[in-house]
Formats: sequence, structure tokens, C-alpha cells
Amino acid sequence: MPSASALRLQIESSLERRFPAALSPVPRTVRETASTGIPEVDHLLDGGLPVGAISEITGPVSSGRTSLALAFLAARTGDDCACAWIDANDAFDSESAAASGVALRQLLWVRCRLHSPTAKPWARSDFSNLDQALRATDLLLQAGGFSALVLDLGSTAPEHCARIPLATWFRFRQAADRTRCSLVVVAQEPVAQSSAALVLECAAMNAQTDGRTVLAGCEYQVRTGRVASAASALHLAGRRKPPASVWPAIAAAQRSAAAERKASA
Amino acid sequence: MKTELYACVYAEEFPAQALLRLHPELATQPVAVLDGRPPLQTVCSMNRLARLTGSSQGMTRLEAESINGLRLIARSTETEAAARAVLFESAAQFSPRLEDVSQPTACSCVLDITGTECLFGPPETLARNLRAALITAGFRASVAVSANFHSAHLKSAAIRGITVIPPGQEAAALGRLPLAVLDLPADPDETFLLWGIRTLEELAALPESDLVARLGPQAVDWRKLAGGTLPHAFEPIEADFSLQEFCAFETPIEQIDSLLFIGARMIDCLATRAGARALSLASLAVGMQLEGGLAYQRTIRPALATIDRKFLLKLLQLEIAAHPPQAAVLSLTLRAQAGQSSKVQLGLFAPQTPEPSRLDVTIARLKAIAGDDRVGSPVLEDTHRPGSFRMENFSITIPSIARKPGEPEPARARMALRRVRPPTRVRVQLDALKPVAFRDREQSFKVAAAYGPWRTCGCWWSTEAWNTEEWDVLAESSGGSSVACLLVRDCTRDQWQLEAFYD
Repeated sequence: MPSASALRLQIESSLERRFPAALSPVPRTVRETASTGIPEVDHLLDGGLPVGAISEITGPVSSGRTSLALAFLAARTGDDCACAWIDANDAFDSESAAASGVALRQLLWVRCRLHSPTAKPWARSDFSNLDQALRATDLLLQAGGFSALVLDLGSTAPEHCARIPLATWFRFRQAADRTRCSLVVVAQEPVAQSSAALVLECAAMNAQTDGRTVLAGCEYQVRTGRVASAASALHLAGRRKPPASVWPAIAAAQRSAAAERKASA
Repeated sequence: MKTELYACVYAEEFPAQALLRLHPELATQPVAVLDGRPPLQTVCSMNRLARLTGSSQGMTRLEAESINGLRLIARSTETEAAARAVLFESAAQFSPRLEDVSQPTACSCVLDITGTECLFGPPETLARNLRAALITAGFRASVAVSANFHSAHLKSAAIRGITVIPPGQEAAALGRLPLAVLDLPADPDETFLLWGIRTLEELAALPESDLVARLGPQAVDWRKLAGGTLPHAFEPIEADFSLQEFCAFETPIEQIDSLLFIGARMIDCLATRAGARALSLASLAVGMQLEGGLAYQRTIRPALATIDRKFLLKLLQLEIAAHPPQAAVLSLTLRAQAGQSSKVQLGLFAPQTPEPSRLDVTIARLKAIAGDDRVGSPVLEDTHRPGSFRMENFSITIPSIARKPGEPEPARARMALRRVRPPTRVRVQLDALKPVAFRDREQSFKVAAAYGPWRTCGCWWSTEAWNTEEWDVLAESSGGSSVACLLVRDCTRDQWQLEAFYD
């Protein structure tokens, strides 16, 4: 009597032309992930954002997209990795980044603007800020060596983002895969479509206050949008960043002094 | 006692060679160099093809222009000086003792190569290698080796190619040379012609006492020179090592591609010279003279010193493209600073970082897209002014030391701000000095909660003074969306601005 393995071999060889390795289980590829720096989100994503792929963090203004992206960069730069922030709308706040733990010396910040400053006609270009951001992303992905790139389209209108050709996202996906770079797109709505390995949907929950004069933080909701099987949600709390300065101690002292002056007045 | 040995390098038609060195495309054309002020310009130098067409030294510009196909270029003393420095530097690779014996239209130097046999082989090999090095640097020169200084010089000026005169046979080697190689004054030259003396051999055979009686005491030196026995006190010069290339253009250049064509050749020369000394180029200063008396200066500093020609040329191209000259270019100068060849120690477990040379090109391209001051690493200013920072060049930093135990963990999961640059001016409705509603150009917001005020001020002693009042505001827009934002009141001008959104 033939053994089970012999039978399987016989069946597979007979079906080889139509179904290669019909009865052998497909080896499961474990995708490398990088921690977002927020344990709750890491738990939701089974480790973090995928490496060598496009991840999208979407949501309206004040939904915690930037905080999540900065937390991810803080984790990556904390591992001495080089990262870049391509800022399509010049909205990056370096104080917030420093307070979130981002090592600014490890961060390349590309501030896009409406017009190129070149003077001569042969070098003059009229790329819009979105075009500049896409070209910058392309260059950095092709250059390689960056562990994480954040393409910040958070303040760009969704109808403008929707005009980005699908081929661009395909090219970005291939380049990110080749250079083992995590490309994080911050936008109001999903834009990379099928090229995105992961879509996170952010939403604001409740503000945390400390008395009547201090906005202490905010609760954000993060939901995986693209992975249908993981439609779970969780709540996480973000600490309020004192907007006056980088160093929390100095900022606290500064605000205390301001409060004292206010009381004395 | 070791026998003295000298090697003389003689590059004839040097004004033409210096100009053609950076214009290889002209090597197949007859080219003559004009010297003097217009309209009294005369031909002072030419290449071999120009000589074949019938041009000669001393021709006027009008005569030269009548020759079909002859290309005329103005003489450039700066280009010659730069080329002379390159020639001396190439020759100095074989001996540090070097004496300049240049002539008005020829660049020549004599090397003291006594005792260099162990390093460079016999004189024939040294002469061959020396000539090859000069050809690599872009010069065609003749080389003569002799135990007598003047013999080597005379022979190299008279005979093209390589000549090695065995010790003691100087008189025989110089014998057939014409008397003109001595460059005698006019009177004795005519006298010798009247006597029928036409070669050095005939001059050396004249009796010394009778020669002195008729032509004076200097005739002794001429006779010894002709016989290859005149002694010489060697006066070495310090070969100045300066990595500089200069090129003056025949016509003003407006196209970057044309400029880069010359720039590539100059970078090639600089890299070769630096590489010959086991050095690299740490920085490259680009200088241009522009029409209208303008000057152009830019400096390229790669992250690592390198002699990669393609990489340096790409950086030069991107730099010029990002900062194009404001007028047509009359001359181009590249001045490099030498640095030690860089070595990067990679670690097996080190995180991936961008390749430094590739990163330089990428950042230069990014600057061409976004602007020179808009690409880099943000550095926070040491001030209490909200939102102040400056941009610095991004560079790959050394991995930080592992965090010590007990050291506080970096802050995480902060609420981040998204700046509105420039801040949007808003109209704010107050109630009991607290904002209750505000409106920008597009929509209106109803304030659900306002936290503040946080008052900051500073720099009251300067024009950059600020005095602001910050409010953290939770608001609901007319469209129904909720936002958390930062409203700032400029107390000096009593204006409200939307500075940032919490995100």
C-alpha cells in the first residue's frame, strides 16, 4: 500500500501542469515590522509598521496622524536609523518632533514650496508642492539607506492627492521593497490604493484636561483600514506637548512664570 | 662620489599646449595663439597642424586669418601659469629638486635625478616614465638626460622625444646641433657666421685663447657650453602644490553643458593630481568671471573627500544648476582643497545608512527641487520664541552611545503640532477675554473649550521682539468637523493668528 507521501507526490505530479505543488502548503512569509513606539498600536499591528512597504496613516485634522508618525520616527531614529520627512505643506513642527523623541540629527527634512528658487530659465521649474514632494520621495527611495520616509500630505486636499498616478505608487512600493524602507504616507484619505500594505485610520476621541487652563492630552482612535481581518479598534492616550519649547522642564518653568505673572496682574 | 645626472623637460609651443590641454576637441584642428594688443597681435605659438598649414611665429593676425581653416585663440597668461604649475608638479613626482628654465614660448625645467636609479630605474626608464606622466597630464614634451645641466637643456630643446646622453659624451651628442640653440647675442652670432661656424662641434673646436682675444671673456662659456662642459650651480625651486585649474574662454559661455564639458576635464586633472599624492578632494571652489565684471563663487563640500570624477562632476552640475550664473561666463577656475582619502568602517550589526557620496548627490538634487535652505536637519534654537529653529546640512552621524541605566527614557506619544506657515490671520470673538468663536477666510469655528492663556515675550531690546498670548482651542467648524488648534494673539499688534493644529 503506497504511503501518504507517495500518494501526494503522485497527485501533485499528475496535476503539475495545472496546479504546481497542489497539496503542499504555501510557505508563509513573515513580514518584517518596525515598532511604532506606541505599544497599543504595535499590539494592534502585530509588531508595528511593515518594513519595505507603504503604510498609510489617514484621518482628518487633529486625529493624531502626525503624533503617530512622529512616534514611529522617534522609534526608528532611536535605533540610529536615518529617516526623512517630506513635508508637502511645510507643516512639520521641529519642537513637537524633538519632544516626541525624534533625534533631529538623524532626520532629513524636505520642506516643499510652491516655486523653485532657481533664476535662470533653463533651470526654472514650476512644480507644485505636491510634485516636489513626490519627486523628493522618489529620489530618497532610489538613493536608499533611509529606514523610514514620511510623506506628509496631511494638509493637501484629497482631490489633489487622488490625482497622483497609480504608477507612482507602484514605483514607490518597488523602491521601498528594494531598499527595505518603510514609506509612511500621512494623508486625509487613502491615496496609495493597492500599493499600500497597510492603512491606518485615525480619529480623535476625547480631550484630556488638567483643570481649566491646561489641555493635557487627547485620546486617539486607530483602526486598521486595509486589513479586513483586523478590524479591531483601540484607544490610546497622547500626552500634550508643551508648545512653547522643546525641553519640557524649561517649557514648564516658562509657563509657570507666565501663570505667576498672570496671577500677580 | 656619485656622478651628477640631470633630466630636462622641454614643452615647446607652451601657450598653445596650455590652451589645448583643456580643449581636447581642438586637438584635430590647426590652432594658432595670438599675443599682443589688438590690432598689433602676432602669432606666438601654434600646434603641429597649424604649422603644416603654413603659419609661423611672428605672423600678424591679418596674415594668420588668411590661412584657410586656421583657428585663432588669444593668449592667456593665467591658463599658462596654471598649466605650468601642473607640468612642474608632474615632473616633481620624479625628483623634488627642480629648476625652472622656461623660455617665453616654452615651459622647461631641469630635474636633478642624481641617485634615483634605485627608485625609478636606469635613466632611459625614468625618461620614458617621465614623458608618459607628462602626456597623462596633457603635455607633449621632450626629455633629455645628461650628466651636464646645460647639455640636457640644449638637447631637449633641439631634439623631440627622449634622449639619453652617456656621461662623457656630451660634446659628441651636442656636436651636430646648430649654433642657434645657444641663443647668442646678435653680434657674435654674425661673427660666427662670417667665420663659417654653424654647429656646436665647430665652435667647441676653436682655440680658447684666440676666441677670448676676439670675442671677450664670455666666449669661454660659449665654448664650454658647446662642448658640454660648462658647470652649473643648481638653483632648485619649491614646486608649489596647489590644486587649481583655470580656463579662459574664447567666447562667453551661456550654456551649462558647455561649461561642464570644460569642468569635467578640469576635475579630471585635479583628481589625477590629488590621486598621485594619495590625496582626495575635500572641497571644490568654483569661481567664474562673468560678463559685466561680475564674479561667481560657490563651494562644493562632499561629505567624504573623494577623487571620484563622475561624482564630483555631478555635484558641480547640480550646484551650477541650482545657482546658475547671472551672466555669460568668461573664465572658469576650479580650486580644490586636498584631504585625506576617507575610510568608513562599516559594522555588521549597524543600521543601514545612506551611502555618503550618493547622499550628497541626492541632497543636491533635493535642493534643486525645493530650495537651498529648505533641505536639511532641523536644529532647535536656544530661545523661548515658539517655533524657532534653523536648518543645518544633513549628514550621517555616528551611532549614539547606548543609553545608560537610570537615564530617563525619551518622551513618547506626545501630541504633535502641525504648523500653519505662514500663520493664518483670524477674527476672534471673545467672551470674558476668552475666545468663543473665530473665523478664517474659508470657514467659521465655534469654540468648545479654550485653554489658556500662555503668555510669552522676549527680545524686547531688539526689533525681533515678541509678546504673544497662546490659547489651546477645541473647536467645531461650520462643516461639522472638530479640530484642536493653537490660537495666538500678538499683544503688540493686537492680532489673532491660527498658528498650528494639534494632530
